[in-house]
Amino acid sequence: MESILEQHLDETMKNPAIVGILCTDEQGHNLGCRGSLSDEHGGVVSVLASQASKLSSDPTDSPTVCLESDSGNILIRKHNSTTVAIHKMNS
Amino acid sequence: MGCCFSSENDPSGEDSGDRKPLLNPVTNLPNKASNGTERISTNLPSTKTDEQAALTSILTRTALNIIDVAAADSQGMEQHEYMDKARQYSSKLAMLSNTLSLKKPSLLPSLTNQPHQVLASDPVSYSDVQQVFKIAAYAYSALSQIKVDAKEELVVQFAIP
Amino acid sequence: MTSAITQGLERIPDQLGYLVISEDGVLASAGELENDEHTAGVIMQMVQTACKFRLQESSEPPFKRLSVMFEDHVFMVTVSGTKVFVVKRQNNQRDPINV
Repeated sequence: MESILEQHLDETMKNPAIVGILCTDEQGHNLGCRGSLSDEHGGVVSVLASQASKLSSDPTDSPTVCLESDSGNILIRKHNSTTVAIHKMNS
Repeated sequence: MGCCFSSENDPSGEDSGDRKPLLNPVTNLPNKASNGTERISTNLPSTKTDEQAALTSILTRTALNIIDVAAADSQGMEQHEYMDKARQYSSKLAMLSNTLSLKKPSLLPSLTNQPHQVLASDPVSYSDVQQVFKIAAYAYSALSQIKVDAKEELVVQFAIP
Repeated sequence: MTSAITQGLERIPDQLGYLVISEDGVLASAGELENDEHTAGVIMQMVQTACKFRLQESSEPPFKRLSVMFEDHVFMVTVSGTKVFVVKRQNNQRDPINV
């Protein structure tokens, strides 16, 4: 249940390279977030994930979207109806 | 009828052309009111012209405030009148569009001065891709028992050409 | 389109095709992305979406490259000047993902 997700988010944030995590549904509702990623990012994250899936004709080959900079990356991945974004700093 | 507030009085008399209703209800009246008002006007003696004029003006005013949808089809304007109105409205709109021009979607920000270098550099490490995959899979399984009852779309896409 | 720009794209390692897009449409295309209006359209939408992304009051988008990674290929995208550059590259990191 919900607390399992909360635990999962907390566990993930223990990784020192990860400074933010966000979990949204397909409509961009924020299901949970930590650190640098927050409510306001839910929409963009879920839209990017669904737009990216239009780049493949194979529905089983689901993409990972990455916004890359010199300091770190924001990685976005959709799993069924859930989309997760993590903000990871470069080591 | 023609546009918002078209029935408001315009004391200056200007703009009367484009504020006139598209369909002129008064011309429809003889057909629609053949059992009532029409008969009155023909049966009354001519000495009652003042009263009749008053009645007619009431009738006209009332008719101007009614859009007779049923009559609109059959008793519309001539085609050239439509064309004239269309031309008139589009020239008005063209004038307005100069002042009310739609805001253009902002230009894309430049992200780099060295596009080739940026595109040629190594892709994101596979371990990172795998990590986000696992986190997403785990989050999905953690959430799969929660039902979110969304009432409406929260994501709306703007300014996408 | 100056040839220097496209030559640079052709030299990118594992490159399978590329697109150069402006706000008005596709300026150049080659390889697997030749005349690929669909991909060009989707990527333009993604760039416009991604450029709205902001981290903590920063006024600049927090990235210089957008990548979309599939199992065996990856689309890499950046914006320079007013042009969007897209290159499709082979993804050599082959191991299948284990759940």
